[in-house]
Amino acid sequence: MKRKLTTTMFGLCLALAAMLALGGCGGEKKDDKAAAKAGGDIRIGGIIDLSGPTSSVGAPYAEGVKAGAAYINANGGINGAKIVLDVQDDAYNVQQGLSIYKKFAQEKVAAIQGYGTAVTEALTRNAAKDEIPYFSASYSAHLTDPKTAPYNFFTSADYSTQVRAGLKYFKTNWKEARKPKIAFLYPDHPYGLSPIPAAKEYATELGFETVGEATVDLKAIDATTQLLPLKDKKPDFIWIGGTTPSTAVILKDSKKIGLKATFLTNIWGSDENLIKMAGDACEGAYSLQAAAVYGQDVPGMKAVMEMSKNQPQMTHYVRGFVSMLAMGEGLRLAAAKGPLTGPSIKAALEGMTNYDPMGLAPAISFLPTDHRPSMAVFLYKISSGKLTFVAQESLDRKAEWLGK
Amino acid sequence: MHGKCGLFFESYRAEAAVFQTGFQRTCLGLFVALLLVCPLVLDSYLVSVLNLMCIAVIGAVSLNLLTGVCGQISLGHGAFIGVGAYAAAQATLHGVPFLAALLLGGGAAALVGMFFGVPSLRLKGIYLAIATLAAQLILEYVFLHWESVTGGSRGLMVDPPQLFGFAFDNERKMFYLLLAVAACALMVVTNVMRTRHGRAFVSIRDFYLSAEIAGVNLFGYKLAAFGLSSFLAGVAGGLWAHYTMFISAEQFNITLSISYLAMIIIGGLGSVVGSVMGAVFMTLLPEVLTASTRSLTGIFPDIGSQLVALREGVFGLVLMLFLIFEPEGLANRWRLIKAYWKLYPFAH
Repeated sequence: MKRKLTTTMFGLCLALAAMLALGGCGGEKKDDKAAAKAGGDIRIGGIIDLSGPTSSVGAPYAEGVKAGAAYINANGGINGAKIVLDVQDDAYNVQQGLSIYKKFAQEKVAAIQGYGTAVTEALTRNAAKDEIPYFSASYSAHLTDPKTAPYNFFTSADYSTQVRAGLKYFKTNWKEARKPKIAFLYPDHPYGLSPIPAAKEYATELGFETVGEATVDLKAIDATTQLLPLKDKKPDFIWIGGTTPSTAVILKDSKKIGLKATFLTNIWGSDENLIKMAGDACEGAYSLQAAAVYGQDVPGMKAVMEMSKNQPQMTHYVRGFVSMLAMGEGLRLAAAKGPLTGPSIKAALEGMTNYDPMGLAPAISFLPTDHRPSMAVFLYKISSGKLTFVAQESLDRKAEWLGK
Repeated sequence: MHGKCGLFFESYRAEAAVFQTGFQRTCLGLFVALLLVCPLVLDSYLVSVLNLMCIAVIGAVSLNLLTGVCGQISLGHGAFIGVGAYAAAQATLHGVPFLAALLLGGGAAALVGMFFGVPSLRLKGIYLAIATLAAQLILEYVFLHWESVTGGSRGLMVDPPQLFGFAFDNERKMFYLLLAVAACALMVVTNVMRTRHGRAFVSIRDFYLSAEIAGVNLFGYKLAAFGLSSFLAGVAGGLWAHYTMFISAEQFNITLSISYLAMIIIGGLGSVVGSVMGAVFMTLLPEVLTASTRSLTGIFPDIGSQLVALREGVFGLVLMLFLIFEPEGLANRWRLIKAYWKLYPFAH
C-alpha cells in the first residue's frame, strides 16, 4: 500500500514536472510568435539578480531598467520601434546566468542589460563571441578595456575611477598642513578587492598617508576587531568598500568605540537602506554615486517621477534607468545608420560623446579604444538622514588608468 | 527476458558485468544514439543546457565515488573543481595542447584533493565534513589572492578548446567533446567500482573496522578515493573553464560544493546512474522553473516578481520532498519502475 502511495506521489510529481516543462515550452513558442508578429520590435534581454544575495539592490535596479524601457517606448521608441525588455533572474549564480544568456543569444536579442560582477565577467567572452552588447551594473575597471571586453559597457565610472575621484575631492578640500591619513576597509571578495590597488597608488600619489587596512566580510555582524587597531592610528578618512549591510556594521561599531573619521563608501555601500540600518551612525558619511537620488533637482527627475508614479525609489533604480537610457541612445544612433546588429550597436555606442542622461548621471562617452563611460562621480553626504548631493568630482582621462 | 522470469548468474564475473542482458546493451546503445542526434535537432539553448549537464555529470559522478561509494563526505568539491579549472586554463594559456591540459588540471586537482584528504585518516563523518569545508575556504582564498596564477579578482580569460587544430567554438561541437569526456568518466567510475579496489571503497564505507580486518589499507584507499575523485572533478573544472571561457574565484564557492552534494543525494548515493540522474535533475530544475515563471508571467504579468521570490522556495521545497519521499534517490525509483514493468501485468 505504502509503495503504491509512493509510486502515485512520484507519478504526480512527474506529471507536474512535465506540465511545467510543457507550459514553459508553450510560453516560449508564444514569445516567438509575438516577436515575429511585431516585426519591428527590438528585443532586449535582462539578466539581473532578483532573488539572490544582492537582490535588495538588484530588484530596484531591474525596476529602473524596466522604467527606462517604458520611458523610451512612451517617447517614440527607437525610431518608431518598441523595446521589448525581458528581465530574467540569475540569482547571482553563474550557471543560471550562463543558461539565461544562451537562451537570449539563441533568440538573437539586440543587447543585454546585465547586473552583477560574477555573471557579467563569466559572460564577457561569450558576449564578445556572439557580438551582443552587454550593459552591466558591475563597474570593475577591467571591463572598460575593449581589448579584453569589447562588447561590455556600463554607464557609471568604474570602481577604480570612483575611488580616485573621491580621494581627489578630499585632498582638494584638505586644509591642514600635515598629510591626511587614510585607512581602507573592504571585503575579501573580487568586488571589494578590485579598486584597492588603484586606491592605494593614487592615495600615495596625492600625498595621503595610508595608516591601515583590514578586511570586513560582506556578511560581517561585528567589525570591532578590525576597527580597534585603527582607532589608535587616528585616520582622518576611512574607505569602506562593501555593501550596505557591512557598511552599517562598520559605521555603528565605529560610533560604539568612538572612532572619529570621515567615512567614504563606494557605490553599493551607501543608499537609502543604509540610513535605515545604521541610523544616526551614518550621519556625515560620504558616498560615491553614479546617479541622482530620488527627488533631486535635475532635469530628468521629472521623467523618473512620472515613470515611478511618484513612489520614492532608491538610487539604484535611477542608475538602472540611466543604463537603459544610454542603451536606448546607442540603439537610436545605430538604427539611424542602418540595420541593428551587434557590431552596429557597438560602433554607435563607441561614437557616443557626452551623452547627457538628463542630468541623472554624469555625461557618458565611449571610445573604440576606451569604454570608460565618464571620469566623473557624484559625491553625496548623509545629513539629517538624507543623501545630500555635495559635488561632482572629475578626473583626467589618463590612458594608463584604463582597465586598472 | 530471454524467456526467463529472472536473471541467474553462474559466476561472480557474470554478476559484475556492466550489461547483464542484451536488452540493457541495446537500450543504452539507443540512448547514446539519441544523444548523438540531439544537437542536430535541438536549438542552441537546449544544447547549452545539455552541455551544462555533461559537466555536472562528471562532477557528480566524481563526488559520488568519494562520498557515495567510499563514504568520505566532502564539502570541498567545488574548490577541487576550481583547482582543475585554473590548472587546465593556465596550461592551455602556456601552449599545452587541450587534452594534456585537461589531464594536467585533473592531476593538479588530484594532488590538492589528496593533500586535503589526509585528515580523513583520523576524521570521519561530520568532522571530515568540517575539515573539507576548511579546504574549500582555504582554496577560495588562494583563488582570490594568488594573482600571478589565478588573475585574482580580475579572473582568467580562457580560449575555447582546440584538438588537433579543430576548434570547439560552438555549442554543438562542444557537446560532442563534453559528451565524450562524460562518457569516459562514467566508464572509469563504473569499472573502478567493479574491481577489488572498488569493493575496498565500499567496505570502508560500510564499516571501516571490518574493512581493516579484511586487509584493506584504510589510509591508502581513502587517499586513493580522494585522488581519483578530485582528478575527475579537476577534469570537470577544466571543461567548465574552457566552456565558459572565463573563470573567477566566485564560481567555485561553497554553493557549488553543496549543489554537487545535493545532486548525488537526489540521484542516489553510490550509484553511477544516480549521479547522472541527479546532475540532470539539478541542472534542469532551474531551467524548468525559469521557463514556467516566464510562461506564467506572460499570462499574469503582475505576479512576475512574486513568482521570482517563489522560485527559490520551490527549489528548496523540491529538495525537501525528495529527501522525504525518495531518500534513496532517483536511481532507486528508476530500479523500482523497471521492476514494476518487468513483471507487468502480474505484479505480486
